[in-house]
Amino acid sequence: MSVASPAHIIPRRSVVGEEGEWCKMFDPPTASPATCELVAPTNPVPAFVAATVPGATNTIPFTIRRGLMKTTRIDMWDGNRVDFFTFDDPDIASTNGGVWPAPTIRMVRGSIFHCQVAAGGPPPHTIHWHGQEPTPMNDGVGHCSMEIGSYTYQLQPNFIGSYFYHCHRNTMQHFEFGLYGFTIVEPPDAYAQQNPALPNYAGGYPRRTAANLINFPQFPGYVPGDPVHGVAGPGGLNGLPGQPALDPHAYTVPYDVEALWVLDDRDSVWAANMKNARATFPAHGLVQPGVDDQFFKGDFHDFNPDYFFVTGVPFPGPVGSTVPCASNVVVPAELNSGVVGMQVPVNALRNQTILIRVLCAAYVFIRVTFPVDVVVIAYDGRALGVPPFNQYNHAFLVPAGTPMDLSTARRFDVLMRSSSTVSSFASVQFRHNRNNALLFTGQIPINIA
Amino acid sequence: MERRDFLKYSAGSLAALVVGSEMPWLMESNAYAAFQTPTLNFTITDAMKEMVTHNPFNDARCYFWIYKSNTPNLLPECPGPTIFTTEGDIVTITLTNNLDEPHSLYIPGIFSSGPIAPLATKTFRFRALRAGTYLYYDNLNAPVNRVMGLHGCMIVMPRATHPGHKFTPYAAPSPAVQKLFDDFGTSAHFPGLSWEQGDPATDTPAFRQYVWLCHQASPILFAEVGNFTAGLDYPAAQFANLFNNDPYVDTFNTGIMNRKPHFFTISGQSGHFAHNNPFLCPNNRVGEPVIIRVLNAGLQAHSMHIHANHVFTTSINGVVQENPLWVDTMTLYPLDVWDWTVPYIRPPDIPNIRGIGKADTPLTSITNPGIPGSVPHPVWPPTEELNTFLPPVGTLSGGLTGIDISCQLSPMCYPMHDHSEHSQGAQGGNYNCGLISGINFTGDRNTAGGVTTFPNVPTVHGPDGTGPAAG
Repeated sequence: MSVASPAHIIPRRSVVGEEGEWCKMFDPPTASPATCELVAPTNPVPAFVAATVPGATNTIPFTIRRGLMKTTRIDMWDGNRVDFFTFDDPDIASTNGGVWPAPTIRMVRGSIFHCQVAAGGPPPHTIHWHGQEPTPMNDGVGHCSMEIGSYTYQLQPNFIGSYFYHCHRNTMQHFEFGLYGFTIVEPPDAYAQQNPALPNYAGGYPRRTAANLINFPQFPGYVPGDPVHGVAGPGGLNGLPGQPALDPHAYTVPYDVEALWVLDDRDSVWAANMKNARATFPAHGLVQPGVDDQFFKGDFHDFNPDYFFVTGVPFPGPVGSTVPCASNVVVPAELNSGVVGMQVPVNALRNQTILIRVLCAAYVFIRVTFPVDVVVIAYDGRALGVPPFNQYNHAFLVPAGTPMDLSTARRFDVLMRSSSTVSSFASVQFRHNRNNALLFTGQIPINIA
Repeated sequence: MERRDFLKYSAGSLAALVVGSEMPWLMESNAYAAFQTPTLNFTITDAMKEMVTHNPFNDARCYFWIYKSNTPNLLPECPGPTIFTTEGDIVTITLTNNLDEPHSLYIPGIFSSGPIAPLATKTFRFRALRAGTYLYYDNLNAPVNRVMGLHGCMIVMPRATHPGHKFTPYAAPSPAVQKLFDDFGTSAHFPGLSWEQGDPATDTPAFRQYVWLCHQASPILFAEVGNFTAGLDYPAAQFANLFNNDPYVDTFNTGIMNRKPHFFTISGQSGHFAHNNPFLCPNNRVGEPVIIRVLNAGLQAHSMHIHANHVFTTSINGVVQENPLWVDTMTLYPLDVWDWTVPYIRPPDIPNIRGIGKADTPLTSITNPGIPGSVPHPVWPPTEELNTFLPPVGTLSGGLTGIDISCQLSPMCYPMHDHSEHSQGAQGGNYNCGLISGINFTGDRNTAGGVTTFPNVPTVHGPDGTGPAAG
């Protein structure tokens, strides 16, 4: 037995008869198709943004827009400059050079969401609405449908919670280089109150999110719902004829403070070697697909990050260190669907309900440890314990100091509420998925006064 | 299934060996090349495997140690055959070691052969104690022998249901998991079939299930192990360190590789060959829930992301979950074994009248002047999209001599991929040589007028031949 004379040869399979699927998976077609099964959009958010954010417009009624991609060079904490790939929002002038992370998209449950996307720069691209589940053309995976061109994505957000959107073209590069933003699905009436002087104003706090808190009475204002039918009962939103609509707040809880933690990493060697967005763009075989395809070998399966971030805010320190981020960062309304005051580090008052949305956007894994008790109310945009689909699980308490692991693209939402002051940090360890080795520890300030 | 398809798919983990009690539902399923066998008879041997690539100029070969089934005589593959048996059955297994150092076969909690000397043959018996998903592997000189390719998946099916309840994959399901399986096919939110229910009229097998056995392969390091002094074990700590920590080298257009893994496989396949493959990628209708058994034989973790349906994580490392999370992404650590239960609901963010994700009345579309013949119609089933070809009909692979590579958007195609995306970069990138599979939607059991089946549903298809490239 030896490498030179093995007992068996396992031959390579041919793509003969499947050239179409093979070619499509390497090099999906670039197209600008009309939206199939078109439904009139009803998203109330873009009009609100145009009305409240200085300089913002709403070019297409009930429709938001995204452009990709831009290239944005960002200074690292040590003076190194790293290229990022970025989205813009053509309706928000200040984003025209591209911003990272991309502007947060808020949608309301049950509305018809349209996003008109134009791909410029080095095309093609897509948008995948991670965790949201429409038809394949609207799912934004090129080899299952098409890359664009231009296109109007359509979906109906039907589960309140935390998601993100990213380019699914050559994701290993385009997502790593920053082509993503966060998505929040809110209750149906989240944008109903447009008078800032009245309670439940669409542009501020408190807001509501989905949860089943039957076992956690410490969070006031929770509204239970129908234990069989869940959020909309037998009739519900736009209900079946003759049946009553349930409270749009069924299975939701109000929160006073919202923090967004998107943990990310960058590998500066990748950034230097693959700054061309066409790196790894293949050409399928002219003579025989699957045989004479041409493209780079690339470095993309050996990932070694050396810069670390939370929601675009750097942790200024080298690999191996433990470093806090800035203590007072608020996401501007123009990058947050018109909502004023979303935080990154937490700065709250005693007896406020604090919602923290956590996404691992790093290619290595993260381990988050909170300094106070939290209640996990949702994973991956699905509120725990909310019937009918999620009646099989339940929200749970995570005591202070308990590590919680997340791998790439996973999300959870936690609620925090303290009757005493807190001046501490949440710890975020970045651990390599190769061997679970600790690479870096970021600290996110939590101050409750 | 035709006999020639049996042979074509009798390689390694794409074949299923049924040992002990008969499983007619499995023998009748087109999604398996299943063989009933009274005993297991494996040789521990080696193979050179031609890995996925896009270009024969790349020397995409990797040396493996493998479990090969002798009777029935299956084609060699890494991983070894998928073993199906039934809880309580006694399994007889004969192992012959044709390699130069001691090897073993180990099934956590069920069986341990202990060392089998080179050129020795030994026969054992074990009882399949407990229903569930198992990684079988060589636990000697850990992790070297396992990672070199000596691994496979064993599935132990429960023998009976609990009175008054439907089948789950488990002997002792948690109340939550039992309720989930009881609700399939019965509750208003899971209309269609139970997991245990098939339907011969629609060619739908009962107990629908798939195996995604993940692995990472390092051609340079595996060759070093194969060339190591005969009869001596390669140092295990050195192996693990080189596999994970060998210094980065710039492989850009050079063909040079370090000793980290350079291929990432699901049940031995990558890219197109794991994605567009009905033996690995479920092809089912709305209302036909399936189990996907996910395992990691390697030394690196993955972040498995599935599109189109959130999935219930019903068992993790033998523990049926008291609180089964409904997720779109799940962490797969080395040696992890967990089960995803895919409800196969209509992709819930397709517009419907109540806006709550339930498979009830679809909204009605408006005329889209950009689509010839578009008229208002229910948005589900999505007939305009299912009838779309991208690339369009007549798209040639190259010049006037190429072949038509158009693809119809039916059945509905969705990926499952490792979101730690570096695994997608093997051989140059963009999924087609990476750790990826998917789920397809082939119809809907609950449409008005009965069961709908979309065009182009595979019964069994796949690459017939071998060639200089690609998979």
